[in-house]
Amino acid sequence: MKLDFSRPGEKFRLHASKKSDMELMKLPFPREWSRDDFKLPENWKEIALKKFDEVLKKYRSVRLYMDLCVHCGACSDKCPFFLATNDPYNMPVGRQDLMRAVYRKYYTREGKLLGEKAGARDFDEEMVKLWYTYFYQCSECRRCAVFCPYGIDTAEITIAAREVLTAIGLSPRSTTESIAKCEYIGNHMGIPPAALADACRFMEEEIKEETGIEVKIPINKKGAEILFVPPSADFFGGPHWGTFKGYVKMFHQIGLDYTISTYASEGGNFGLFLNYEHMKKINAKIYKEAKRLGVKWILGGECGHMWRVIHDFMGTMNGPADFLEEPVSPITGTKFKNAVYTKMVHICEFTADLIKHNKLKIDPSKNDQYIVTYHDSCNPARSMGLIDEPRYILKSVCRNYVELDPSVNRERTICCTAGGGLLADETLELRLKAIKPKMEAIKRTGANFLAMICAIDKASFDTYVRHYKLPIKVGGVHELVGNALVF
Amino acid sequence: MGVLEFTIGIVLAYISVIVLVIGIIYKFYTWMRVPVPLKVPLTPGPTTYAGVAARLATEVFVFRSLWRGAKKLWMGGWIFHVLLLTTIIAHIINILFHDLWGAIGYFWYDLVGYTGIIFAGALAFLIVRRIVMPNVRYISHLSDYLILLLLISIVLLGDYVRFYSGVDVKQVSAFIYSLIYLRPVEPPSNIYFLLHMLLVEILMIYIPFSKVMHFIGIFLNPVKNQRNDARMRRKVNPWDFPVEIMSWEEYYEKFKDELEMIERGG
Repeated sequence: MKLDFSRPGEKFRLHASKKSDMELMKLPFPREWSRDDFKLPENWKEIALKKFDEVLKKYRSVRLYMDLCVHCGACSDKCPFFLATNDPYNMPVGRQDLMRAVYRKYYTREGKLLGEKAGARDFDEEMVKLWYTYFYQCSECRRCAVFCPYGIDTAEITIAAREVLTAIGLSPRSTTESIAKCEYIGNHMGIPPAALADACRFMEEEIKEETGIEVKIPINKKGAEILFVPPSADFFGGPHWGTFKGYVKMFHQIGLDYTISTYASEGGNFGLFLNYEHMKKINAKIYKEAKRLGVKWILGGECGHMWRVIHDFMGTMNGPADFLEEPVSPITGTKFKNAVYTKMVHICEFTADLIKHNKLKIDPSKNDQYIVTYHDSCNPARSMGLIDEPRYILKSVCRNYVELDPSVNRERTICCTAGGGLLADETLELRLKAIKPKMEAIKRTGANFLAMICAIDKASFDTYVRHYKLPIKVGGVHELVGNALVF
Repeated sequence: MGVLEFTIGIVLAYISVIVLVIGIIYKFYTWMRVPVPLKVPLTPGPTTYAGVAARLATEVFVFRSLWRGAKKLWMGGWIFHVLLLTTIIAHIINILFHDLWGAIGYFWYDLVGYTGIIFAGALAFLIVRRIVMPNVRYISHLSDYLILLLLISIVLLGDYVRFYSGVDVKQVSAFIYSLIYLRPVEPPSNIYFLLHMLLVEILMIYIPFSKVMHFIGIFLNPVKNQRNDARMRRKVNPWDFPVEIMSWEEYYEKFKDELEMIERGG
């Protein structure tokens, strides 16, 4: 394994946040700055070290991981960003050591006395640059945690590092631009209510043209039984459009009493890429809207980061949701016992349940033109454990299903490499290299339809299949469900 | 009793045990006093404590994740740990309950003795690996090499004591019992035995301040010890704080015309 010490990762450093977005989001030190000239405030070091002390006292995982790593190197070749660059700071252990070095310098006797010999480094401007470069070169996919003998999760350390970076005014545009739109317009894509309604009307027309069926997509409907929250990308074309169509057709067939909301038109959560405060803010809208509309429970669409937040964090951050009921499928009567506290169910859990009880009229031969394979997205696979449900659905709605190589799929999946705030033009070259092992595995399946349940995945894989010249259609699981429905 | 026998055999013996025990408790406390704010389990995420225990058991007994991660390292690491376990058990039987060998069978006594060589071999593999593999060499610090050198020295000296030194196990037994009963007598004055004992004492003192604490740390890792039940039951974040977001009223004011149009069904 070769290591490239010329810091190849540096050219993929993310672009700086805009001053206007920082002001809108009330982030510390809004200013004109660039990824090459940070223009840090005078007292940045004091603030950074104070914040670092704070995260060491707030997250047991981070505190533990500072001491737990035995430097065995088992994780080193597991991160797709290391495989793409051979940059030692992209090895999970190398990335973690950027924080460990500062920890050793300020918190251990060994570090204070022996300095660099004990792996301790001062938190100087050079170190800050390395932190900003490499902690925004981790997509928080948690692949490394699968292979570490102790399960050390680099994502936890990246999250903590980003709390420190945000506190001294360092955050990337790829993240803050979208968060600002979400907090002030309603969704990451910045689509105002009228445009959202237009998209729904357009979808209704398209479905009428294709199938002759009249559907009506309820928007902001008070008293509906279920609030449906997809990622906003699903409203807006490209590989996501087919997924949206699938949802709408399916809801129509089963006569589901649902509504979407323009206020809570974003299931996705880019706040997860920045800090706890903004992650909580963005997610808070969902419960608020559910309460306002008086629904019974909430259904969530095909989105990766959304489900990391909803499955793991929503109950803690935004709950309890006493104004909601424990979710029961109105069609099958199934009690979703795994969601009784958060009261939010994944569309794949909902649909798999429908199929299991034979409540969907489907003809799998309608997907015969596709050889389908399924890509596990990092958050549903590793953080939810939602691995079997999408496969069950796919095998029920199409007749040619091929399994992708499990060494880069299922819990070991190589993610789209565009998560965690890394979906940006400046990282395209990096991501195209990082995704190579996955693309090779996809090619080997001979599939012509790549199904996935994550919005960022759909956007990035759509790009990748074109660059890799693979004749593959990228789409959601529910696109295939929609295709197979018979009316 | 000479100065060496006194220092190594008695003074450091008690100091090292005290430092080890108090050190482990203190380190455990430094980790435990930090809260776990959120649920972050990793797939496979069992939803019961039994499931979590089973999962941790696979890590502790067969190093499941390491097997998936790096098979050659797994071989060196797993053999090292298994032999560490058998060596510690054999020491306890040999020194404190020597007659038990009669019941167990002297064949096992001999076998365990010979595994001391494989033990040193596994450590040698780990040392060479750390020097030779570029990614491991890059992340290694002084402490990573020193702990391995310390361990291999202890094992080699132990092998020497067992096979060449002629130290009488009955004398060692009497000596260790005397320490336990707080009535210390003179240790065997064999220099290899004393050196072996000294290095073990250094190791015991070092453990609480080193990465060897991973044997406790693994059980505290929320990624491995949490149940995957965040949507099922309440998990409280002790430092959670309220946030303000744009309310529906503010949103309505901002997009009044558009929202009214939607209400009218447009």
